[in-house]
Amino acid sequence: MKRRFSHFLAGLAAATALVAAPAQADHHGPTSSDLMNDAASAGDVLSYGMGPWQQRFSGLDALNSDNVSKLVPVFAASLGGEKQRGQEAQPLVYDGTIYVTGSYSRLFAFDARTGEKKWEYTARLPDGIMPCCDVVNRGAAIHGEKIIFATLDARLIALNRETGKVIWNKKTADYQEGYSATAAPLIVKDMVITGNSGGEFGVVGAVQARNVDTGELVWERPVIEGHMGTLNGAPNGMTGKLNATWEGDLWKTGGGATWLGGTYDPGTNLLYFGTGNPAPWNSHLRPGDNLYTSSTLAIDADTGVIKWHYQTTPHDGWDFDGVNEFIPFDATMNGKPMKLGAKADRNGYFYVLDRTNGKLLGAHKFVMQTTWADGINLKTGRPNYIGEGRPGAPNGAEKGKVVFSSPSFLGGKNWMPMAYSQDTGLFYIPSNDWGMDIWNEPIAYKKGAAYLGAGFTIKPIADDHIGALRAMDPKTGKIVWEYKNAAPLWGGVLTTKGNLVFTGTPEGYLKAFDAKTGTELWKFQTGSGVVGSPVTWEQDGEQYVAVMSGWGGAVPLWGGEVAKTFKDISQGGMLWVFKLPK
Amino acid sequence: MESGRRTLLKSLFAAAGALAMPAALRPSSLWAAPLAKVREAGVLRVGLYTDNRPWSWDDSGKPAGIDADLARALAESLGLRADIALFIADEEVSDDLRNVVWRGGLLGFQPCDVMLHVPFDRTLMQQEDNVVFMAPYYRESFGAACSPDAGNCEVVPAQFKGHPIAAELDSIPDFYLLGHAGGVLTRDLVHKRTGYEAISALGTGEADFAVASRAQIEAAMADAPEAGIQKRHGPLPMMLSPGWDIGIAVKENSRSLGFALEDEMNAMIADGRMAALFSRHGVNWQPALASQSAA
Repeated sequence: MKRRFSHFLAGLAAATALVAAPAQADHHGPTSSDLMNDAASAGDVLSYGMGPWQQRFSGLDALNSDNVSKLVPVFAASLGGEKQRGQEAQPLVYDGTIYVTGSYSRLFAFDARTGEKKWEYTARLPDGIMPCCDVVNRGAAIHGEKIIFATLDARLIALNRETGKVIWNKKTADYQEGYSATAAPLIVKDMVITGNSGGEFGVVGAVQARNVDTGELVWERPVIEGHMGTLNGAPNGMTGKLNATWEGDLWKTGGGATWLGGTYDPGTNLLYFGTGNPAPWNSHLRPGDNLYTSSTLAIDADTGVIKWHYQTTPHDGWDFDGVNEFIPFDATMNGKPMKLGAKADRNGYFYVLDRTNGKLLGAHKFVMQTTWADGINLKTGRPNYIGEGRPGAPNGAEKGKVVFSSPSFLGGKNWMPMAYSQDTGLFYIPSNDWGMDIWNEPIAYKKGAAYLGAGFTIKPIADDHIGALRAMDPKTGKIVWEYKNAAPLWGGVLTTKGNLVFTGTPEGYLKAFDAKTGTELWKFQTGSGVVGSPVTWEQDGEQYVAVMSGWGGAVPLWGGEVAKTFKDISQGGMLWVFKLPK
Repeated sequence: MESGRRTLLKSLFAAAGALAMPAALRPSSLWAAPLAKVREAGVLRVGLYTDNRPWSWDDSGKPAGIDADLARALAESLGLRADIALFIADEEVSDDLRNVVWRGGLLGFQPCDVMLHVPFDRTLMQQEDNVVFMAPYYRESFGAACSPDAGNCEVVPAQFKGHPIAAELDSIPDFYLLGHAGGVLTRDLVHKRTGYEAISALGTGEADFAVASRAQIEAAMADAPEAGIQKRHGPLPMMLSPGWDIGIAVKENSRSLGFALEDEMNAMIADGRMAALFSRHGVNWQPALASQSAA
């Protein structure tokens, strides 16, 4: 009797499902609501950043500061081939499979228990692409039966996550115009949300939302004022106000690439995307604030309309960019529980904003030195600029004045994501202390023609380190602890309820620190530099940790004194998985 | 004054010859076999910019332009087939030299035997020791032109305030116009992808004044003779660049090929074929400064 009753219920449920959402009937795998719950589901890692807020915080504590010293590898899996270079990906874990993207636009599925490869997908890339900043990829996204990732030729590809076969493959921009894509997609309300990238002059930053099942465009929001957005194929209003902060037609090619993707807050239904630096590079040629470059934008997830913006570097003249992740968190400020968000900007300041309206509540220096500004004015929200810190205008005649600028254009923090612990209330920022000499170069050439370029050399500003992992109290701006590293840090951070903080180093180590004190508790040599983002999950009753190893990214492309710290590091391409011995 | 590296190299060779150095003792890299290898393969792979009219561009799948014609003539003179690889310009020429001449692209782009349209400049040569710069074959400089109705094209550019003014994005003409007379023209600037397009815009009513390279000006005028574009004859006041020479680049160990190409280019210059090749694209050939002082 009982059995029959449950059959009846199941039948009823199936019928309802067929009526309500026929398209969902055949799907199996995570739904959009599963993705929203990723931070709380311990048995998987479904999204970049471990949940839409991307705090990179796990509630697991089986592995903790008391026992992490015993952590050992379970297996390692090679990405194989001759294609190595930078492995900046964050693994995803679902249903006994670890999914990881590799350099050169590759995607791999490994058995999460044995490390055996299930399948591999290599995007066929046109050989004419000359990527500006290494051939990296930062991760994939899962939805239903699909796993989705972006490629260097600016395409978005959805594969069947069990077979690796293509379900859809969409061009998001033209690589011949200088566009590319390296960030992990974000999935919100059955839409894949992506930014765009490209270092070339003429690229205009935009955020796109596509139907996750078909790849068709739902809305697009260009991030430079004057450009029109679209929603379901129809115009959906202009971004900002034409020529409000740009002169002439420079807004048409204003830059602002959204190359690092974004975060999402289900409570406000807002997407938070950072925007890149304005073009052209030399700020003297484009008077004005150049909105919305070097900013954080809050965008309505349903319509693609900008709800608020906060510009961290108005009239950016240092390539500070503003793409860094904006991480929502809740905390009590001045005795009031508040909905907040934080961003550690390339310009060297850590910003705390009210995530409902973009109001600035705090701005704190998180690097040793900022030569371009002396603090941020909390009333106006603008930096207190230091005039002589701005690189000069090109005059064509001779080598310009050398300006020392810190942070260097690679930033106080670059792409590598920070983490926030709900347990300690601290942000863990992978930062770098370095500066650059910059000057106008009268003899330069571009596309066979004379050009006015900029010359620069990046250099360390401390004797004992470039990299520094810093624990920042977002309420006070106090740096609670720091770990110094000889080479620049270039990998993401993970923190757990087990009082742990994990991050990798170019020297090849994955390291674990005490989240409260910064004491180094464990390290493991992976054989190549670690520039990926670690994750943790629970499987068969045990806690696992995984990270990619493979030195590369933008740092090795630049020489000078900084190169001394990493020139002997070998390339690689390996997934490492760890747990405690039984 | 620019004597060029070529002259220096030639004298080195002369010295070696005078001493009758046995082949086994000659520096092997100078006598490496790329010319023989290229002959054996039967193909000369030439790297050209893909969006650089009138020098080289993609004409419905076929490489066209002055440099494309020059590449074919050079291959033919060596009894080879030309394989022209059009590539997208990177941020600076040194990136292009790395991608196209001495290393290749990261995603499978094969290095070329030679790249044309490389600036022939002493400072650049000192920075780039993976390639050899040779055969300066043209002198380029920036100039200006006007629409048919713009009136006197010889006035200072500031006089065009309030009229649309065209230039290639992020180029010296762009910097020049944005900064000219304290920035009074900033709001009037119309940015184009190339200098050729900037000049062509004068014939379509889109712009009244444009700054571009001389080859871009002459070719765009020749391609639209009915448009009535007027060339400015006088120099531009306070122009940021005095002009530059254009040559070729081969890999550091491919000098034998470089010398063979240079010899052929010198022959083309001497018998008028070079000037004829340029004039087919509407451009008056101008000898490189470096080649004049070396002669």
